[in-house]
Order: sequence, then structure tokens, then C-alpha cells
Amino acid sequence: MPDEPEDAEMEAGLRQAAARFDPVPAELIQAAKAAFGWRSVDAELAELVSDSLLDEAGAALVRGAGGPRLLHFRSGLLTIEIEVTRTRSACELVGQIFPAQPAELDIRHGAHVDRARVDDLGRFRAEFVPAGPVSLYCRPASGGTGIAVVTDWIPL
Amino acid sequence: MAVGQPQDEEVATLVLASAAGDASAWEALVARFSGLVWSIVRGYRLTRADSADVFQTTWLRLVEHIDRLHAPEQVGAWLATTARRECLRAARAHARSVPADETTLVLLGQPDDHSPEQAVLETEQARLDTARAERLWQALASLPPRCSQLLRVLMASPPPNYAEVAAALGMPVGSIGPTRARCLQRLRETLAGQVSGPASSAHDHEQTGREGTHAG
Repeated sequence: MPDEPEDAEMEAGLRQAAARFDPVPAELIQAAKAAFGWRSVDAELAELVSDSLLDEAGAALVRGAGGPRLLHFRSGLLTIEIEVTRTRSACELVGQIFPAQPAELDIRHGAHVDRARVDDLGRFRAEFVPAGPVSLYCRPASGGTGIAVVTDWIPL
Repeated sequence: MAVGQPQDEEVATLVLASAAGDASAWEALVARFSGLVWSIVRGYRLTRADSADVFQTTWLRLVEHIDRLHAPEQVGAWLATTARRECLRAARAHARSVPADETTLVLLGQPDDHSPEQAVLETEQARLDTARAERLWQALASLPPRCSQLLRVLMASPPPNYAEVAAALGMPVGSIGPTRARCLQRLRETLAGQVSGPASSAHDHEQTGREGTHAG
């Protein structure tokens, strides 16, 4: 790589400027450290396989700019589909789990967890979920068998 | 550029320890790579809230993937790829809610972030250094997005390796060196006042910053 002395000096200056004007905010570093507390060792991961936001054709042609956002997560055990509707200050989630089964749902966001019930048809709904990173933790309804599933974190 | 086996091994060890539940290893990973993740986020035109969300989402994503990484020693590149994708997602989300002219124009940190009180306390030499650093910083922000993104990532602390830079920019490793040289040249021209690109109008005070100060 070209390492002219002039370049090296300019990069050193840029490095100082970056450290001075644009350091990583301390509260974000703290939050990233605290993120480790969300680790779920006992659950299978359902990865994000599609997001209508990034699926240009789908978002533009099928839904139009104002329609709900569609998220699709998949693990070896089940599939979770969610429609996200943004209200003024929060989001509403309407979702379904396949194969359909009753379950308990933790909606993990920020430093909080909201609970929701998944009905016999696999449907669930959650209101007032704040914008920001969210992950769903889905475990079998009490009395049921099976392993818990946790989704990738995704910002709403 | 940090490239080499010992660092790779150290990073892999931290990943494996984190996967086993060692919180101090996780904190070491955060310390090692938050500069890289932040440098990527700052290369995009995102609001403060979106920047924070992307940063946090990137780390949260790693929490759930830490025990599934195919190449633990490449966790930096994994984070860089994740951060870049999340930046694009955030830019897209914003474009969807607010019709934006350009979604990925660079908005780097502004020099006026530091307090006036602090400036008063500075010595004359420090004031000159500050003026010079501001001029450099504004010149960086006025470069085409691809250039300012690349240079900002290269300035991350600690410095990323080329695999991480490639992942951060979504460009082949082989083109980093030449692009970097070209962008530095561009920056030098901007500082010399030979080039005034259209992007420079994004910073109203750039002209005043440019006048009368000479680096050196």
C-alpha cells in the first residue's frame, strides 16, 4: 500500500481528529457491554431471512410506502412472521408462528421485556413496542414440550 | 494495519470465552471493536437515534451469534458486515418514512460538538491544533461518501485490518489500498482548496474554516 510520508502525516492528523471530534459515545459502549446480559443459551436461533424494507420490489410494488413492514424469521423448528405498523411513538406487532402452536412470547426491547400470548392458531399481537432493537423469545406454552426459539435482534 | 496471527488468536480466544459465558471476554471484544463499528455507522447519514440503534443492534446481534460464528477470529469482519447492513436498513427505513434526496450521504461528527468552555481553556498552541484538526475533519466530511466512509473506517481506533475494512465498505480487499491512496489525494486537494466538490456546500462554515489557516 502507498505509504508516502505525506499520507502518513495526514492520516495521523485524521486519527487525532476522529478521536477528538467523533469518539464512540461512552453510553453506547456501556450498552454494548450490557448487551451480553441478553444472551440466551437455551434457545434455538431464528435468523432474519427477509425484511420488506430491504426487499425493494416487495416493499414498493406489493405494499406501497405506507404499508406494514414484513419480517420473516426462520429456525430449524419454526418460522415467525411479523407485520410491523409504526404508530406515532411506538410500533404494533401482529405475527404468526408456523407450525401453529400455543406459546409464550417475550418481546425483548431496550432494557425491558413485554409478554404476549400466542394462541392455538399461532397468532400473536403486541402494541406499544418502542422503536429500537427488538428480539422475540418464544417458548412452548406451559405444559407444552419443545425448545425455546429466539429471533435475531432487529431495529423497529 | 493490524494483520497477523497473534491478534487473530487473541480475538478468537475472546469469542470462544464469550460464547462460554465469560462477560469480561465480551467486554474486551466491545473495547476492541466498538471503534470499528462506530466508524462504520458514522459514515452514513443517520440520525443520532438511528446511529445508536444500529450500533446497539450490531452488538445485540453478535450476542446471539457468538457461539455460531464459523470463523471466530474474523469476528471483526462479521461485526463490520452486520453494521454496514444495518446502516443500509436504517437509511432505507428513513427514506421510506421521509422522502430523502440521498440516503447515504455522509454526515460525520461536527467539530462544534466540543464545548466553548473547553475552547476557552485551551492554550494558543492547542487552539492552532484544534483549528487544524477541524479543517481536516471538515475536508473529510466534504469528500464523496465512498472516500469519507473508507477514511473514517481506516481511522477507527484501534486500526482495523484489511479484511475488516473490506467488510465495512463491501469492497474487495485488493481495492482498499488504491482507493485509500486516491481518497487521500482527494483530501489533500480539498485542503489545498483546489477542489470544491458539490458536497462541500453541506457544511456552511467550511469556507471560513479553510481561510487563513495553514497546516504545519
